[in-house]
Amino acid sequence: MTAPVSTRSARTVNSRPRRSAGVGRTTTSTKVLGYVLVAPIVAIMAFVIAFPLVNAVITSLQDQRVIGSPADFVGLDTYLKVLGDDKFWSALGRSGIWLIVNMIVQTILAFATALLLQRSGWWSKSARTWIVLPWVVPTVAVAVIWQWLLNSNYGIIHKMFAAVGIDIGAPFADGPLTLITVILVNSWHWFPLSAVVIYGALATVPHEVIEAAKMDGANAWRTFWSVTFPLLQPVLFALGLVGSLWSFNVLDTIYLTTKGGPAGATTTMPVYIYDTAFSAFRSSEAAAASVLTVIVLAIAGVLFVRFARPKDFA
Amino acid sequence: MRPTLRLGRIPAAISMIVLTVIVIGPIYWVVSSAFKTRQEILQATPTWWPQNFTLSNFEQLFMTTDYALYLRNSVIVAVATTIVTLIVSLAAAYGLYRLRVPGSGKIAGIVLLSYMIPGTLLIVPLYKTLAGAGLIDTYAGLVLVNVAFTAPFCTWLLRGFIFSVPAELDEAAAIDGAGPVRTMVQVVLPLMAPGVATVAVYSFVYSWTEFVFASQFIVSDTLKTLPIGLSALVGQYTVNWGLVMAGTVSTLLPTVILFVFVGKYFVGGLIAGATK
Repeated sequence: MTAPVSTRSARTVNSRPRRSAGVGRTTTSTKVLGYVLVAPIVAIMAFVIAFPLVNAVITSLQDQRVIGSPADFVGLDTYLKVLGDDKFWSALGRSGIWLIVNMIVQTILAFATALLLQRSGWWSKSARTWIVLPWVVPTVAVAVIWQWLLNSNYGIIHKMFAAVGIDIGAPFADGPLTLITVILVNSWHWFPLSAVVIYGALATVPHEVIEAAKMDGANAWRTFWSVTFPLLQPVLFALGLVGSLWSFNVLDTIYLTTKGGPAGATTTMPVYIYDTAFSAFRSSEAAAASVLTVIVLAIAGVLFVRFARPKDFA
Repeated sequence: MRPTLRLGRIPAAISMIVLTVIVIGPIYWVVSSAFKTRQEILQATPTWWPQNFTLSNFEQLFMTTDYALYLRNSVIVAVATTIVTLIVSLAAAYGLYRLRVPGSGKIAGIVLLSYMIPGTLLIVPLYKTLAGAGLIDTYAGLVLVNVAFTAPFCTWLLRGFIFSVPAELDEAAAIDGAGPVRTMVQVVLPLMAPGVATVAVYSFVYSWTEFVFASQFIVSDTLKTLPIGLSALVGQYTVNWGLVMAGTVSTLLPTVILFVFVGKYFVGGLIAGATK
């Protein structure tokens, strides 16, 4: 049997992931099995992501209205139309604000939570499980819960503020404040996931290092910024990249609470594309906006990886 | 002694109380509202817990609306998504991170990269693709899309669990005459139980809460899932908050119950997978 050879090579590759030592030394049966195992995910991703993406590029070069209706090739006309649409630019800008404010709010909440989860005591121990609850609640339920809490006639939060003499108005319908409200609701839904991951990462920081820093007279903040934080960087980098993209992607929370309103105040890029396709029935413009957004995100992603990537990140 | 970092000058106890109220408060408030009578829900001075405990909201929900049907549909879609995600991501993780087929680094990279493309940007062409394959308005279509958005993350999450099973075990199994398939099924997989549990919970919760795709790719009333049903209920019965609350509680209850039982393992698994 030659199987041991393949596993030995697998082990050496484990320690240095990029080395191609396995090539040529893997047995045929293992290789066949390997490709059979990998095939389903590749096929699914090709069907659900890659093929539609190509399709989007083709549609964006046409003048299609209702999805699937016959259309003519118009070259870059649709792109010019989208680029000349003020709504596209304001949606892109709003997505930027959405991304950054969500990131700030969630990072602060998640870090504070992670530090609390790290302590000993019954609260921290039990919280490590129930803290994830907001993430488990379906987005539709999240939307209903907060609409109920903030309802301007019967909402408990509204009443609490009224009791101390503050009228919070209608948080889901009050112009510029609406975006902040939806960001806070979205952060409530998502911060627990980051909190748990950061808590896990904190637990991997060897406490000898922290003790040593304390011995050297560093206070809690100093220790955090110069010892803990750098050690957390790889996890924070991955979380920042994936978290930003998940956050950018959010459509349900916005759509279910405000439908992008009032007067477009919460229309981020996904909402803009959704409305363009399914309310205005301009498939080609929606597709062009999608392609442009993917390009913007790709550039942002590359810049993020280039400047935020920790030195030893594999 | 565990090293603990102090939260500046803010006493930890206050932070804990605030956090508890922020996280549990809203959920508690909705659950307690669901058991209140219509008058009690709307009365000027709110009551902290139901004065006249009633199940009438739930009765109305299951008698006069299609909630039971939506519940069934959601269970079907979520269970199918979970099973397919498990099979696809375990297979992929094993092939990419254990057998390391030639080119696995590139394949893993491409899969993760395509996962990074926001799904909401692809709704329009995805609709067309599904329509072309006759998958619009079917469970299969929705499950397929759900899997595409759970499997890459789950595959990546399983990476850490695969690494934690020592390679010596494979060698030992091979010496005992086990082929690669038997080694995978009988030796490595059983040792990855925590990873399997984590992936199962993640994909179940994802598909249970998924709204955007379900709202566009399912057309028939008889196939709609809970999130769609609930959002329709909100639009239809805006005044009847009791009914809406009962619907909300029934939608979130299954995932919360799931969490009561496996939450600890899920959180542990997520941490293990993400930090390895």
